Formats: sequence, structure tokens, C-alpha cells
Amino acid sequence: MIFVSLALILLALLGAPLFAVIGASAMWGFSQAEIDLQVIAIEFFGIAEMPILLAIPLFTFAGYLLGESGAPRRLVRLTGALLGWMPAGLAIVSLFACAFFTAFTGASGVTIIALGALLFPAMQQAGYPERFNLGLVTSAGSLGLLFAPSLPLILYGVVAEVSIEQLFLAGLLPGFLMLTILSGYSVWKNRAIRVPLADFSWKEVGKALRESVWEIPLPIVVLGGIYSGYFAISEAAAVTALYVLIVDVLILREVRIRDLPRVMRESMILVGGILIILGMSLASTNYMIDEGVPQRLLGYISNFVSGPYTFLLLLLVFLLILGAILDIFSATVLVVPLILPVATQYGINPVHLGIIFLATMQLGYLTPPVGLNLFIASYRFEKSIISIYLSTLPFFFFLLISVLVITYWPQLSLFLVGQ
Amino acid sequence: MSRVKRVLGALEKAGMAAEDAVLVLILTGMIVLAAGQIVLRNAFNIGFIWTDELLRLLVLWLAVAGSVAASRMDKHISIAVLDRFLSPTLKLAAKVLLELFTAAVCGLITWHSIKFVHSTFEFGDTMLGNLPAWVFQLVLPVGFALITYRYTLFTFKNFYQLVMRGPQT
Repeated sequence: MIFVSLALILLALLGAPLFAVIGASAMWGFSQAEIDLQVIAIEFFGIAEMPILLAIPLFTFAGYLLGESGAPRRLVRLTGALLGWMPAGLAIVSLFACAFFTAFTGASGVTIIALGALLFPAMQQAGYPERFNLGLVTSAGSLGLLFAPSLPLILYGVVAEVSIEQLFLAGLLPGFLMLTILSGYSVWKNRAIRVPLADFSWKEVGKALRESVWEIPLPIVVLGGIYSGYFAISEAAAVTALYVLIVDVLILREVRIRDLPRVMRESMILVGGILIILGMSLASTNYMIDEGVPQRLLGYISNFVSGPYTFLLLLLVFLLILGAILDIFSATVLVVPLILPVATQYGINPVHLGIIFLATMQLGYLTPPVGLNLFIASYRFEKSIISIYLSTLPFFFFLLISVLVITYWPQLSLFLVGQ
Repeated sequence: MSRVKRVLGALEKAGMAAEDAVLVLILTGMIVLAAGQIVLRNAFNIGFIWTDELLRLLVLWLAVAGSVAASRMDKHISIAVLDRFLSPTLKLAAKVLLELFTAAVCGLITWHSIKFVHSTFEFGDTMLGNLPAWVFQLVLPVGFALITYRYTLFTFKNFYQLVMRGPQT
């Protein structure tokens, strides 16, 4: 038993596809319990029984399509017109534009590629130190994870069986906290140069608005629709996908029709990669719950954890380590079913747990050895992983502070939910 | 050898085109159906009971088709922390092992999916009104068989490389 687990862990660390490792461990467990292995197919078919999953391919496709169009450039211009007057204006513009774009494109590294390429040279030109620029663009690539309609929020809702509408509300204030803290750091860090990007001008705002006239309805319809309860999440996703498709391909013609199959394939590779792991972990979770793993976990933890405060601290440490090795999607489907029952025992609200979980996992994008953003940024800006890593350290530190605040101040997450 | 290679190459090309076509078809169908449903309901007050179920099935199909496409490019989500400490030869050897492992796991899943579809067939379960459920479940054995096929090919290719040429070329 232990030998098999160790062998599977070794295979995973060597780079075996995670779905195969999870599938193998589920099948091993079921066969030990003498349960017919058809169960793996039955559980996998459970993907067709979760209506909310429809939102995942639709939002992902819309996000990839937006990334191919001129939307990133227009977004930067509009944010610049609105926020560029502040001290260290361009840095703040970058943070807000990245957060907004990440929320819409599902936190898959698209932000660094689509926006970083615009922002990095611009900040370089404006005289910000290179190390600061690299750190900012790399860490901003996962900012916005807590804003609707980001994929990790949806996936957490699916796995934890928590209302996604509530998660969308709960993420707002913590997300803004992260943005505010990083903006404050950017202003302070660049107090010597303190360059506003430009004076505020209604004329520029008007021009930027006119240029983005096709994208502006998008957040209004999607976020307004979801938060007002007019649209279900999957309906909002359908409207988004269709709207972006029509605008970018037929009206603005920034994406050619013959490029569509490629964009579809690239986005669906990500979706397939996430959902096959979800399918496999439906089976493995089922097995672990049958075996009473959460209860044993709780019993084990209660040996040295007395109350919610120490539990949360332990949880944070665990999630930081987890985030350093697993990507946010795999971590969500694998770990949430196990820690949710334990956390509930300690009186943690499942919605709050979701925000803690995702906020901490967001740091995982920046922690070696696996941190996705480090690799994407290193590849995109042609810098060594080490220099990227060092450049993100101050940002990591300030994000960690916000995670601590988010963790120990439940009302920040739950206030808007009304719980 | 060269004939086998040619046949495999042609198969690969046709397979890739077919995979792309399937992905495009399912995703386009999903967008049209999901958005169309909203328009029909709000503008004309028409709704169909089967659209929700069909959409959920499309998600499953898309998940499988996407996974097959991810396998083609070996782009599945993985951790890979240890491999950078290995020498090129060991790295290639580890790759062969991982691919063999993945192929074996997927082969096993394919086999049990076939049994799953078969038992649905025997029970005569139905979906989407009165259609036989096993038809919709076929996507599982077909998809996992394709992933098995891909990783088997990878295994052979890298094993051949490892034995015949070494990792450099």
C-alpha cells in the first residue's frame, strides 16, 4: 500500500500527467476494496451531471479569443485614461488592467502573455526599474483570481458545492484588498520617480471609451447579469462567448475565421486538461470519503490543533506548500473535498474557506519549484527563472500579508454575502 | 519500416484534422445551443427540456475531446519537479517510463469504460427522452482508447530513440 503510494508520488514528481496518477490511485484503492473498476467510468460520467461546468469551456474560449484580439491594448488605454493621473500611474494601471483581464480569462497565464507584452516595455520606457517591472507584471498575472467570473472560483463552487453567486460576492473585497496593497507598495516604491502617466483628461477618457465601445457592454452585461441574478453563471458564459465571437470575428475582424479552429483547440486543451483531472478525482474523492479519510484527517489534526485560529494557521502553511507544487485547478479538485469537512468542524464558513484557499493558491503561481507565472514570465521576457523569482519577492510578501488579513478577518469575505 | 512510418504519418494527419473538426463542432454547437436557448426563452418564451441535458453531455464530450487533443501535444497538467535533476539519458528513460505508465492507466480505463457502456446497453438505459444512453457514453471508451494510442506511440518513439540513438538527437 505504502509502496504503491510512494511509487505514484514519484511518478507524479517526475512529470507523469496528473490525471493518470489520480486515476491509477483511485483504481488501486477501489480494487483493494474489491469494488468493480467500472466505477471509474461511472464517476467520470458524472461530469455530464454538473450543469455549472458548462461555464468553464465557454468562459475559457471567450478569454482566449479576447486575448487574440485588440482588447488587451484597448483595456490598457482605458485604464490609463481613468487611473493614469495617480502617482506611479502606470504601475497602478498595470495592476488593475491585469486583474480585470485575469478575471475574464480564467487565470491560466494568458494575462502575462497578452498584457505583459504591452505593459513591460511601457513601464521600462517610463523609467521604472526593471526588477520592479518584472515583479509587477509577473505577480499581476494572477491578480484578479478572486473576481467574477474567474475559473478557479467557479471550480471551487462546483467541488465544494457552494453557491457560486455567493463566492463571486465574497471575492470582491479581498480582491480589492490585494489590489490596494500592491498599488500602495508601487506608489511607495517609486516615490522617487512618482511619474503620473498623464494628466487626467476627459477628452482622453472619451476617446478611450469610444475605442472600447464594443468591450464595455461585456463586464456590464456579465457582471451585472450575474450579480443581479438575471443570468445564471452558465447563461452569462454563453452570452459572453457568443458576444466575443461576433464582435472580434465579424464586427471588428481582429481574429480571422481561419484562426478560430486554432484558438478553439488551444482553449479546449486547457479545458480538457482541467476536466479530465476533475473526472478522475471524482472517483478518487469518492474512494477517500468512503474510506473516511476526512474524519481521520480531522482526528489527526485535532491532536495538536485546539481551535480555529491554529487550524487556519496550519491550513495556510499547508496551502502554501501545496500551491508550490500543484496548479490551482488540480489542487482545488483534489484537496478541497478533504479539507472542507475538517474546516467546517472548526467553524470555518465554506465560502470564506474558498476565498482563503484561492487567495493562498494565488501565491503558488509565484513560488518555486512549479509557479506557473514564473515560467511564463521567464519565457516571455527572456529572463532567468531566478531573476524573475527574486523580482517577485516583495510582491509575494505583500500578497502574503493580504492573505493573512483575508484569513483572519472572515467578515471581509462574508460581509457582502450577508452571512 | 518506412511503410509503417508513412501509414502512421498519414493516420496522424487525418486524426489531427478529425480531432480539430470534432472540437470545433462541439464547441460551436455548445455556444449556439446555450445562447440560443436564452434567446428563445426570453424572446419567444419557448424552452426545450432536452437542451440542458444535451448541453451537459456536450461538456463531457468536449472534456474528452480536449483531453485527447492535450495528449496529442503531451500538454496534460503535470508537476515535473524532479526531471530537471536527471541527466539527458535518464530523463529520456524516465519519459519512456511515464508514457508507458500513462498508456497502461488509460488502457485500463478504456477497458472498464467498455464494460460500463456494455452494462448500460444491457440495462437499456435511456437519455434525452428515449434515446439509448450507451450511444452517448461511447465517448469514454473512444476517447480513452485514443489517449492510450497516443501514449503508446510516444512510448515506442522515445524507447526507440533511447535505445538506438541516445537522447541528443
